[in-house]
Amino acid sequence: MNGLFMTPLLASVFFLFAIGLASLMINRDMVRLLIGVEILFNAANLGFITLASYVTGFVDPLPQSIVMMAIVLDGAVIAVGLVIVLNVYRHYGTLDIRKLRRLKW
Amino acid sequence: MVAQILPLAGFSLPLPVLILLIGGVISPFVGLIAVRSGTRLREAWSFGVTAAALYAVYNLYQQVQAAAGNVLIVSSWGQNPPLSGCFEVDTLGVFMAGSITFLGFLVSIYSTSYMERESRLTEFYTLVLFLLAGLVGVTMAGDFFTLFIFWELMSISSYVLVAFLKQNWGPLEAGFKYLIMSATASAFLLLSMAFLYGMTGNLNFATFAVTFMNTPMTQWMKLLFSVLLIGFGVKAAIFPLHTWLPDAHPEAPSPVSALLSGVVIETGLYALTRVLYLIFDPSFFKLPIAVLALLTMSIANISALYQKDVKRLLAFSSIAQVGYMLVGLAAGTAYGVMGLLLHVFNHSLMKGVAFLSAGSLIHHADTRDIDELRGIGRTMPLTAFSLLVAVLGLGGVPPMNGFVSKVILFNSAMDSGMAWLTVAGVLNSALSMGYYLIVMRSLLATPKESHGLHEAPLPMLGVTMFMAALIILFGFYPQPVIQIANQAAIGLVENVSAYIQAVFSLV
Repeated sequence: MNGLFMTPLLASVFFLFAIGLASLMINRDMVRLLIGVEILFNAANLGFITLASYVTGFVDPLPQSIVMMAIVLDGAVIAVGLVIVLNVYRHYGTLDIRKLRRLKW
Repeated sequence: MVAQILPLAGFSLPLPVLILLIGGVISPFVGLIAVRSGTRLREAWSFGVTAAALYAVYNLYQQVQAAAGNVLIVSSWGQNPPLSGCFEVDTLGVFMAGSITFLGFLVSIYSTSYMERESRLTEFYTLVLFLLAGLVGVTMAGDFFTLFIFWELMSISSYVLVAFLKQNWGPLEAGFKYLIMSATASAFLLLSMAFLYGMTGNLNFATFAVTFMNTPMTQWMKLLFSVLLIGFGVKAAIFPLHTWLPDAHPEAPSPVSALLSGVVIETGLYALTRVLYLIFDPSFFKLPIAVLALLTMSIANISALYQKDVKRLLAFSSIAQVGYMLVGLAAGTAYGVMGLLLHVFNHSLMKGVAFLSAGSLIHHADTRDIDELRGIGRTMPLTAFSLLVAVLGLGGVPPMNGFVSKVILFNSAMDSGMAWLTVAGVLNSALSMGYYLIVMRSLLATPKESHGLHEAPLPMLGVTMFMAALIILFGFYPQPVIQIANQAAIGLVENVSAYIQAVFSLV
């Protein structure tokens, strides 16, 4: 590609990052918070692939393997998060994050 | 070198990491046998694995001392470093790995009797072993990719460990908050990896050092700095990103709190220190880090003043200690980094014993409220004594080891022309005694009614007393630790060329 799509792709990375952070700030549903984290990870992965494709000549396999690994790690984090959400639902009967207020700051 | 690295189908790891990983993988099976046979095999297994890891770290230290330039390269896929993932073990890595495995070993002894009443012990010991494996892997990683994998291993284990007592609501709330904040930070870390890859075409630490040696400070570099600071800052509990810590650390079981406060946040700080020194010039990050250090310690000390929960108070004290450690990073000299490392080691002992002995008190009294713990020192004098020693050390009172490292840290800030930071640090130390004295008063006060002597069980008591003795010992005789910390700091700050040489000589 040699940097032809560099600017739009990088712009979309930052846009996705903004969406992810905004969804972490706005949402009240705990599952949606986890989806926000997922968006952030995907934005970072997209950034990785974008910056790796900038190299001329043959493409280095390192970024691809790292992104694969990052997707797996991300899945594991989300799985742990969903387990916690499940247990919270058993305790509180709701997924509203505003109800989880019993710990003082 | 060959004896310490077990080749496994063309794949090799430093021995401590390998021992902990394999120990963690086998642990569920050991747990299965232990449940069937009704023996205490799980406890024995985790004790054996952590002891073996500690011994392996000691062996690795001797090998690093013997190696050229004090750097040992372990290429994990049979390919030589700049091309593939690798481990680069230097004195700094071994120093951190040593304090991690030492605390892990003591915690595994302590847990044998603290966690007795809990169910799901197999999961507990397995997760602790994986947490330690992740921590040791982070300290020995030679490129950002390896660091990230072990970072996530450590993070995922610690999320589950924080929410371990899932029958209560507190751990669940704290665990979810910790997970969201920390996973966001991991995404930022991945983004910083993308930037670094785009700039250098590689992820090896030595390549970073070579590429960024004389680069001008462009806007991209500033963006990279802030992304890195967010990525590592959440784990290290630096001021605006610290809010998960006072929830997560008190809600975890006490042995896990000791590990989280004693080594996990320090590992975040270690990674930040290493990456900042390899990529940036100290003159660039001195001022922002100094401001963050000031804010971190002041806010944490003020917040700790009005805590009622003893573990929450200790958690705020951990944030304040991170502020003191950042002073050493802000100084930008090898002397400052030496103070940082010394304080990391001392803090792992002090906060470890503080959480463990507070855990013993809570285990007995079944309350975390400081006022309700009043007079507990009469019932459990030896445990209360070790908590007293820890609290005095955290406050920086002379015969304890906390004093030595704080003197070095504040001196280093003075030497690099930031007298205001020294003044702020000393004032904060004085302020922190305000809440440490509340804990001490509560321990030493006369109880309303006497309950007679009722000490903690022997493994718990033995560990806390041993660590308290070490705190006093390293206060009087800190030279051996200072020597290793000094070598580690010089290797990072002044002698990067030896590190680069060791990596690139293999090509």
